[in-house]
Amino acid sequence: MSESDANTSKKEMLLEIRGLRIEGYSDENWTEIVHGVDLDLHRGEILGLIGESGAGKSTIGLAAMGFTRDGCRISGGSIDFEGMDLTTASPDELASLRGAKIAYVAQSAAASFNPAHRLIDQHTEAPVHYRIKKRLESQEDAMELYHKLRLPNPKEIGFRYPHQVSGGQLQRAMTAMAMACRPDLIIFDEPTTALDVTTQIEVLAAIRDIVDQFNTAAIYITHDLAVVAQMADKIKVMLRGEEVEQAETAKMLEEPEEDYTKSLWSVRSYKRQQKPRPSGTTPVLSVQNVDASYGEIPVLQDVSFDIYAGMTVAVVGESGSGKSTTARCITGLLPPTSGKVLFNGEELPSDYKARSKDQLRQAQMIYQMADTALNPKVKISEIIGRPAYFYRGLRGAELKKRVDELLDLIELEPADYYNRYPPELSGGQKQRIGIARALAANPSFIICDEVTSALDQLVAEGILKLLDRLQKEFNLAYMFITHDLATVRSIADEVVVMRQGKIIEQGPKNEMFTPPHHPYTDLLLSSVPEMDPEWLTTVLEERGVDNIGEGALKKT
Amino acid sequence: MNDFVIGYYALLIGGSCLAAYYQKRTPFLLLFSLTLASFIMGIIGGEGALWFVTIVAGIIALSAGTSYAFREFLSIVLPRDMARAIRTAPLTASFGIFVVMTYAIAGIFAPVIAPFGEAEVISSAFAPADETMLLGADQLGRDMFSRIIYGARNSVGIALLATFIAFFIGAIAGLMAATKGGWFDQIMGRIVDVVMSIPSIIFALLLLSIFGTSLTTLVIVIGIIYAPRVFRLARAVAGNIVVMDYIEAAKLRGEGTWYLIRKEILPNITAPLIAEFGLEFSFVFLLVAGLSFLGLGIQPPTADWGSMVRENATLVSFGEITPLIPAAAIALLTVAVNFVVDWMLYRSSGLKE
Repeated sequence: MSESDANTSKKEMLLEIRGLRIEGYSDENWTEIVHGVDLDLHRGEILGLIGESGAGKSTIGLAAMGFTRDGCRISGGSIDFEGMDLTTASPDELASLRGAKIAYVAQSAAASFNPAHRLIDQHTEAPVHYRIKKRLESQEDAMELYHKLRLPNPKEIGFRYPHQVSGGQLQRAMTAMAMACRPDLIIFDEPTTALDVTTQIEVLAAIRDIVDQFNTAAIYITHDLAVVAQMADKIKVMLRGEEVEQAETAKMLEEPEEDYTKSLWSVRSYKRQQKPRPSGTTPVLSVQNVDASYGEIPVLQDVSFDIYAGMTVAVVGESGSGKSTTARCITGLLPPTSGKVLFNGEELPSDYKARSKDQLRQAQMIYQMADTALNPKVKISEIIGRPAYFYRGLRGAELKKRVDELLDLIELEPADYYNRYPPELSGGQKQRIGIARALAANPSFIICDEVTSALDQLVAEGILKLLDRLQKEFNLAYMFITHDLATVRSIADEVVVMRQGKIIEQGPKNEMFTPPHHPYTDLLLSSVPEMDPEWLTTVLEERGVDNIGEGALKKT
Repeated sequence: MNDFVIGYYALLIGGSCLAAYYQKRTPFLLLFSLTLASFIMGIIGGEGALWFVTIVAGIIALSAGTSYAFREFLSIVLPRDMARAIRTAPLTASFGIFVVMTYAIAGIFAPVIAPFGEAEVISSAFAPADETMLLGADQLGRDMFSRIIYGARNSVGIALLATFIAFFIGAIAGLMAATKGGWFDQIMGRIVDVVMSIPSIIFALLLLSIFGTSLTTLVIVIGIIYAPRVFRLARAVAGNIVVMDYIEAAKLRGEGTWYLIRKEILPNITAPLIAEFGLEFSFVFLLVAGLSFLGLGIQPPTADWGSMVRENATLVSFGEITPLIPAAAIALLTVAVNFVVDWMLYRSSGLKE
């Protein structure tokens, strides 16, 4: 400790937050959401800020720029940036800091770029505005940065519009934009959360590299521990607007002090025994040689797999690999162009409109975004009760009993949730309601489409455990669509790996997780961040700096 | 220089000084610029101009005071949820609600409030105002005040009915188009394009001269003319809802179109639809008034603000403001409704400062 103290004190202090309190406005009252947080950041240092959603991570990140979201205000404490107190600075002074000295990289690059302007025009905006550089000079600098961030065709890519480049490239272009004025501090707000593992690794490597090269300080906000372990020099754990603990990355990972931190660390250890296929039964669902296309463009080619009762089949692959399209073929939303879907040995009509009520009842779906999967204007009791009424004709006291039963199953207190609306619930609770709605139909097969990817790890673990329990109780078959291999490892019995609309490899989980793999499976597996802080460095050494992500595959 | 002028300037300057002393920036700027403007107006327009300013300021202050008191009253009387919404409403909104309520009361209780019947001839033509006739008589000697009160019932009632019809047709067609899509959507869309391409007042004149000018035809014709706007709004807003996962979930459950519309989509688009209702009501109201003014709307002897303006128009050339009173009634209601609609739009769009 004393050694690191001596080390950091040599560096110049850049950002010093003392006793920061932030209030949010709701129901005509100001309620405190950040309760007195201290934060120190030296030049060239990266601080990882982790915690579940609602912990106040992003709020603090924005406050470091002297900014609060609408309906929030800073009610106490000081934010000292290079000797200037941002809490008392005038709007003009703040405006001259932002972009020039402090930059911000948002979670969704696609939503943060203006789709109507070329990347490079948006890049040069800040330097030209602050008169740091001339336009042409800044364009050259942008190309240089694109090159450093290892974007393909650095000379040309800037002249494209945001929709013409991929998600990972956009996120790197955004990082380049944040570097445009060579700021002293960059705030990364979950920059890789929305990306696939293979893309994530490219972005992580690029960010770490460039921050290192320009000796920029950074605050890295995320809820993914393995990611923060690669990036940060020190980690601060947040819970409900308060600091839980803070330590150097290595120390934090090895010997966390607080119970909360330990619980965060142990999430990834949840693992379920792999079950063998039940012998002598027909599969609940059998997809046979399915081809599908959106209009003229083929998206699925010759997809076949079986799902047996009581088993979980995980379908993995990066976005655009056809995972969700397969689900749409099974549910009948997108009738396949050839091939068939068998349910308990019987062929299902390809269009859902032609299916009988009972066929529809048997296969249910749980969605990724619980926000859009539950109607915000319909009561919980009605959301869960509707399938029970629709398929089984339950009404009155019987229906109420069934709804209570379902709420009990998903571990929510019926009396508290019966009359509430979805927007009043947290993300995890909403996802549970989505599960209850699927269960209400008494299905034998459930498609889980990325059900945990929008949730924090602690909450996600709870959902996975719940799904597992329900599977045992009702002998359900799951098709588990995900790009998160940690989830696959913990819940799947069989794994199907998809890429570009084709199945690359399939088999029982244990087999799939032991080498030798198909090169693509190997790439997916080795791209999952591990808790070891040296992981990224090792992977980069193995693959070589220019061949991370997809590139590594083309080489082999 | 008389007492009024001295008092006038003394008040303004005193007010400015107080505002400046207590560092109230906006009131000070307002008061002092009014003082400066008054100097010029006083020189050019004399005492009359200053009286005008005083009266206008008085009216604004009175309306603001009424609105403020009315808002406080509503927030105490109404149940909790609504009270909270009202308390954060701007003064313009509570002014709008106040005016709309006054009109509603005048319309509903017209026979009780109005001293005479709407078709009752009680004095000579264009008789000036006296103790029995608050606003004087019209071109046939009927009481102006009574006719305005009855007009609230007729004009507003018809406009309301026509708007309801427009919404009924437009919203249902729009929601069906959004949910079903495909050829139904295309056909409805093209029909709507055709109806909207003809200017509404000309289309109304055309239809009314074909089908005659009974009240029923009038209401239906106006309803049909305004339905396309509602159709387009309903289709656009519902289009955003239809792509949601919960609609997909309901479709996969096997629910029918009618259930989707009623239970899943409608609750999510009520806010913009209600806001649009207020706006459309203003347009429909103006169209009804316009048609009456042209002689094709509500037929005499039924009192109606639009035709009242036309019938008494000659009086304007004699310097009387009587024909302007029904016009002012129309203007006030339109403004009031729009105040309320603005507030609702603000709430439904989720804009927060």
